[in-house]
Amino acid sequence: MTDFAIQVEGLRPHLMRFARAQLRNDAWAEDAVSECLLAALERPQAFAGQSQLKTWLIGILKHKLVDQLRRNTREATILVGEDGEDLFDDLFQADGHWREAPKDWGDPDAACCQKQFFEVLQACCEHLPPAQARVFMMREWLELESDEICSELAISPANLWVLLHRARMRLRDCLQARWFDKEAA
Amino acid sequence: MSQKNTLTCREAARLLLEDEDHELPAADRLALQLHVRVCFACARFVAQLNLMRRATRAWRKHSEEADEEPQPE
Repeated sequence: MTDFAIQVEGLRPHLMRFARAQLRNDAWAEDAVSECLLAALERPQAFAGQSQLKTWLIGILKHKLVDQLRRNTREATILVGEDGEDLFDDLFQADGHWREAPKDWGDPDAACCQKQFFEVLQACCEHLPPAQARVFMMREWLELESDEICSELAISPANLWVLLHRARMRLRDCLQARWFDKEAA
Repeated sequence: MSQKNTLTCREAARLLLEDEDHELPAADRLALQLHVRVCFACARFVAQLNLMRRATRAWRKHSEEADEEPQPE
């Protein structure tokens, strides 16, 4: 193997972790990472060395992740109805007031930079229903625009919005229970 | 677009979530501003959404860049 190939191959575990976090499916993650490594090895000249090798590979991997999602999305459309309850009904009284005011989460800087907090955040993402997790990751990790996500997944903007809205509310509940309540205890 | 400038908390929360994903019409943004200024509960909800947004970005950056310690096989 060339030095380049050795370096690229050495980043495989890192890429796998990134892909797994996104796809939550080992087989798809494996596929995406293999495609990414192949693409990199086929066009080493594309790596001009201005960026870190890892950053360059993550850039390629993001495209491969989107391909995987596109390939495996048939269920995503169906899954729009997977979580029928309107979480808002539990949160608000009939007159539109909060049943219980949101808690004070304190200084954002304290939570944002802690590795343990990221682990909780990841666990909370993993507990989202699959379609919600997928659109949330596409939006927040792959940084796709809403209209791109809609066309990739063949869902309407209204469906996308419902999924994202539910994902955010579930994450909020999960972070409250698994991080902020414990911190206060 | 809502014409009224008084929102219930439920309406405000819905708009705040919508605002995470696309820019709201000016009338909605104004109504939100007015509501959040006088409603401590919704102000906290805003802070929670901000924290989640920042934390998600920081987590992503961490995953992209962090040199992981070698995992024993």
